[in-house]
Amino acid sequence: MKVKTLKKTSSELKIEVEGIGHTICNLLQKRLLEDENVDLAGYDIPHPLSSNSVIYIRTKGNMKPEEALRNAVKKAHEMNKEFSKELKKALKKI
Amino acid sequence: MEIEVLEKVDMNMRLLIRGADVPFINALRRTVITEVPCMAIDEVVIIENSSVLQDETIAHRLGLIPLKTDLDGYNLPEECPCKSEFGCNLCRVSLTLDVESKEGTRTVYSGEFISENPDIVPVSDKIPIVKLAKEQKLKLEAYARLGKGKKHAKWQPVSMCTYKFLPQIRIDSKRCDACGKCVEVCSRKVLVKAGDRIEIRDLMPCTLCQDCVDVCPQNPPAVDVSWDENTFILNLESAGALPPERIMSEAVKILDKQLKEFVRQIKVKKSEKS
Repeated sequence: MKVKTLKKTSSELKIEVEGIGHTICNLLQKRLLEDENVDLAGYDIPHPLSSNSVIYIRTKGNMKPEEALRNAVKKAHEMNKEFSKELKKALKKI
Repeated sequence: MEIEVLEKVDMNMRLLIRGADVPFINALRRTVITEVPCMAIDEVVIIENSSVLQDETIAHRLGLIPLKTDLDGYNLPEECPCKSEFGCNLCRVSLTLDVESKEGTRTVYSGEFISENPDIVPVSDKIPIVKLAKEQKLKLEAYARLGKGKKHAKWQPVSMCTYKFLPQIRIDSKRCDACGKCVEVCSRKVLVKAGDRIEIRDLMPCTLCQDCVDVCPQNPPAVDVSWDENTFILNLESAGALPPERIMSEAVKILDKQLKEFVRQIKVKKSEKS
């Protein structure tokens, strides 16, 4: 997984990531849009045959876009951990 | 978030998940299909083949046979410390087939494989591989490896992994005159007529097709079909390589690992810039 920064300002961030597709990007987009400080969040897959995606974040100015991205990943991570815990609990019951 | 196991029979598992959303469940579904590894025959050395099928056709068929998988005992070829193209006994299993037809025509089934590891065998013994006529022989050595579904469909651990919203059907008893048209039109028999009322017989098979809403003669319709956006029914059918609960837990672990790797890469980028 390689990350290349395409554009970086105090309120915008555009990164190209190799090796992730709709699976992670769509999840991160939803988490980013739940954040009030995020103005725009989206992702693009430039070519379906190459596994690169481009993630774009624009914040409203009071938060750095990298921080918004890290918060979004943290939220996704927590939901994943909660799912794992609940799944173990549900499988034990049967 | 709450999870309830609705059904777990053989290789089929249905989960009811509350408190999730579409991108998360879809990420799990995509991970189950493409990223959970399982075993499949990857390389075939054909020593003798006088059957009617070509070598490559037989090899293709062998690759698609689902094999029982031991995820803990074997490594993915990319991650194996042997780093060899041929592989070692930690990253590949050999299965041999040595059959001939002595009299008459017979079918070669997957149960005739001899595996070097008795735990890594075809899921079913009855999968036909090729038909041999009298005096035709087939002798080959097949090497099975772990792999991921995104590289080749033979490495998909599931035959089906789908999700749908939990249906919510409301029948307005004040406007409903129990004409029974919605009960007749429903292809999944979700509704049932009980006396002078329409009741829900079984909510789970509903496909949200809204046929019952369209056919209701009342205006506005007395039956309302909607869905809960945060509750899902996830249906998973394993192909036999791994048990369904193992597939689900592996998918969650792999998603976890990918998110951790992503955070690590962003941190590296951040420290590089500053």
